[in-house]
Amino acid sequence: MDGKIIVVTSGKGGVGKTTVTASIGAALALQGKRVAVIDMDIGLRNLDVVMGLENRIVFNVVDVIQGRCKLKQAMIKDRRIDNLFLLPASQSDDKNVIKPENMTWLCNKLRKEFDFTFLDCPAGIEQGFKNAIEAADEAVVVCMPEVSSIRDADRVIGLLYSRSITPKLIVNRIIPKMVARGDMLSHKDVVEVLSIDLLGLVEMDEAVVISSNTGTPIVMQKESKAGMAFNRIAMRLDGHPDLPIEDPLAQKSIWKKLGIKMGRKKGAA
Amino acid sequence: MSNQENLPVRLKGVGDSLWVTIDPTLPAEQLKKELARPFERLRHLAVNARVILDPGEAPAGDGLIEELGQFLKDQYQVGQVSPPAREKPTPDVHRARSKDAGNGWHYHRSEALILSGRVRSGQKIQAKKHLIIMGDLNPGAEAIAGGDIIVLGSLLGTAIAGQPDNEDAIIMALDFRPTQVQIGGLVAAGTPASGGNSPEFARIDNNAIVVMDYIKANPFKRLAWPEVR
Repeated sequence: MDGKIIVVTSGKGGVGKTTVTASIGAALALQGKRVAVIDMDIGLRNLDVVMGLENRIVFNVVDVIQGRCKLKQAMIKDRRIDNLFLLPASQSDDKNVIKPENMTWLCNKLRKEFDFTFLDCPAGIEQGFKNAIEAADEAVVVCMPEVSSIRDADRVIGLLYSRSITPKLIVNRIIPKMVARGDMLSHKDVVEVLSIDLLGLVEMDEAVVISSNTGTPIVMQKESKAGMAFNRIAMRLDGHPDLPIEDPLAQKSIWKKLGIKMGRKKGAA
Repeated sequence: MSNQENLPVRLKGVGDSLWVTIDPTLPAEQLKKELARPFERLRHLAVNARVILDPGEAPAGDGLIEELGQFLKDQYQVGQVSPPAREKPTPDVHRARSKDAGNGWHYHRSEALILSGRVRSGQKIQAKKHLIIMGDLNPGAEAIAGGDIIVLGSLLGTAIAGQPDNEDAIIMALDFRPTQVQIGGLVAAGTPASGGNSPEFARIDNNAIVVMDYIKANPFKRLAWPEVR
């Protein structure tokens, strides 16, 4: 097997990298792919909590790299979703304990085992970022429709290009009402500045907060707009790159409302 | 050393020659004496040297240059003595006109750095003279130039033109919405977009940076003919 290594990054913290990683990972696993998600935020691990697997951690990525355990021993299998595995970060170490060459070694091992490996990159562009992008084949840049997030994403895109990685963009936490009022940048403004391929648009959704806190995958909730958006992003990554991107703003049209009332599938964001 | 200005004979090395400025109003005998003084000391350098005798602005008397030249050849074995090749000083306008006629810019080597693509946050572009970006300059990106900065796209980042002290430099963009602009030593914070869709530019006016519509202001319309900038 020769799987893909995809790094999920953003530059700025708190834009939803971890949620995106967990959600796309779960969505692809539900679509039948063998998926590993790796928490690269050494010292500040979160991905285990978002996935509800924190109480099952015995070994972590640093243990694997330093040879204290086998890769298989450290990978935690999700009990709800087949084929979804987590390699957690160490909470007690420092990002500098991992070197880029360690990542090349680890990713080569993961490529053989999994169809998709997602690396949840830490915020910032320092060692942790460099480690995460070292062996990545593709990159997903997560950005919120706000100026500071765009600026950091832009910086990260420049750095990814310099490593010959062509990133794709997810615009996260769009609030259509605010965009319509003109109080929030639209995804078009974001794409205009960043000028990279759009992978998906994710609406602000309270269900994401709840599912993160309870450790349940948002993509399993069919009522959640964000969950459905993540499902479609996963499909675009897995052989359906042309699946049309739906504009959250366009849902306000009367035909869409009528369609929803007449019993068509809800929440097709 | 201003007193040297009034010496009847002054000597300096120019290229491979000795440039000797003399005061032609003095009699030849006195000039020979004055010439002897420096040449006595420079005897070893003077042998076979090429000497230019420059009488300055004043007209030299008939045969004065020749007489002094012969004196230098006899006494100090200099190689060749000649008056300076005179160029008529021409006023600037005439020079520019003749350049226009000769299409002088055909031989001008470009000092502009022309780049295409998008300059992203954290990237910094420096040009010795003019900088032209065919693309956008994103927020957080920086462009620094010794001359003008021209952005054929959106200018959203920081543009620093005319470094270190060229106050004639301009910053122009098709979509002018910079974070900050600097020209020479002046700094101006970016202003919100004027709303117009036409290209704008920033320049120094009365010791402040002003932004104007490029088409309306047409800053170079008063130039009589195209000039190398």
